[in-house]
Amino acid sequence: MHELSLMAELIKLVSEDAHHRGIIKVSKIDVIVGDLSNVLPEALEEAFVYLRPRVEAPFDEKTELHIIREEARAECRSCGTEFVPDYRIAFCPVCRLPTSELQSGETFRVESYEGCDEDGN
Amino acid sequence: MEIKLKEEVLKDQNKAAAFNRKLFQDSRTLVINIMSSPGAGKTTLLEATVKALAPEYKIGVIEGDLATERDADRLRALGVDTVQINTVGGCHLDARMIAKKLPEFDLDKTDILFIENIGNLVCPSGYDLGQHFKVVVLSVPEGNDKIPKYPIMFRRTDITLINKIDLLPYVPFNLLEAAEDLKSINPEALFKPVSALTGDGMGEWTGWIREVYQTCLSR
Ligand SMILES: Nc1nc2c(ncn2[C@@H]2O[C@H](COP(=O)(O)OP(=O)(O)OP(=O)(O)O)[C@@H](O)[C@H]2O)c(=O)[nH]1
Ligand SMILES: [Mg+2]
Ligand SMILES: [Zn+2]
Repeated sequence: MHELSLMAELIKLVSEDAHHRGIIKVSKIDVIVGDLSNVLPEALEEAFVYLRPRVEAPFDEKTELHIIREEARAECRSCGTEFVPDYRIAFCPVCRLPTSELQSGETFRVESYEGCDEDGN
Repeated sequence: MEIKLKEEVLKDQNKAAAFNRKLFQDSRTLVINIMSSPGAGKTTLLEATVKALAPEYKIGVIEGDLATERDADRLRALGVDTVQINTVGGCHLDARMIAKKLPEFDLDKTDILFIENIGNLVCPSGYDLGQHFKVVVLSVPEGNDKIPKYPIMFRRTDITLINKIDLLPYVPFNLLEAAEDLKSINPEALFKPVSALTGDGMGEWTGWIREVYQTCLSR
């Protein structure tokens, strides 16, 4: 995968938003990574550690990345069973038909971040 | 203070995809994004496709590769307007790269634009380019287990083409199992076996393109 470029994208997103709000220091970022998002949390973490000292404020050595894993969940349209799918994402374990829809697991989103402005707020 | 941002990491990329999509709609250009692992036969398939469709449609191609103009040259040799993107290490095309190259086409006069993505069965699946359809090519020598092993790619594509079916007598590849696996991952996806080399099954594929050209652009 390409977690380094995804991380650069994430840092840009948070930087721009922080800049608009006059936030000069970001202490923590919460990011949601779905199990079916094709993003590897470990690689994302490594990319963050690599980039953190190399980018400009509002990030510094102490900025933390908090990855929240989102489990893949599917619901069958025929019988309503909710389940954690294996690779057969659409396959209902009860009906044994490919009639399920994914409810979660594809998210890759910055949920929130913490920071402070010049007055320390 | 805490900021509830709730923003997709690929927000900018997705905005560029929406921009492309609007351009394609306004100019009435059917756009097909072709993905596969390296060497599955994307360029060979495009050569055969272009030969079959060029008498009826004005075709453009965007070629994505890490390096070289080789694939673009293969299509230019057929007289098709082709623009090469070299990602120099990048493992996928994104919508911003496409947006930058679109001014090199006369989209109003282009009926169909094919985009050949970087050879990779993982990364390109995550990037919407603004296309109407995504196609994945899986070739017989790769084995049919690639469908369950790379479910995200097969889940996010509209058609799976099984290429190099001329090699079925020589390499183990279970077409029935492949079709079953695809159904359990993406029940709406179409499954079409072809050989870009011999032309077997190509009529089905080009027939599908003619069909979606009508339905997509008459909307
Ligand atoms: N036997 C057989 N060989 C094929 C077929 N289609 C393509 N090939 C061969 O497979 C090799 C790779 O084909 P390409 O069309 O270059 O594959 P590609 O997917 O464009 O490769 P990259 O752009 O490098 O990822 C070439 O040697 C082709 O001649 C086919 O239907 N049957
Ligand atoms: Mg090629
Ligand atoms: Zn069911």
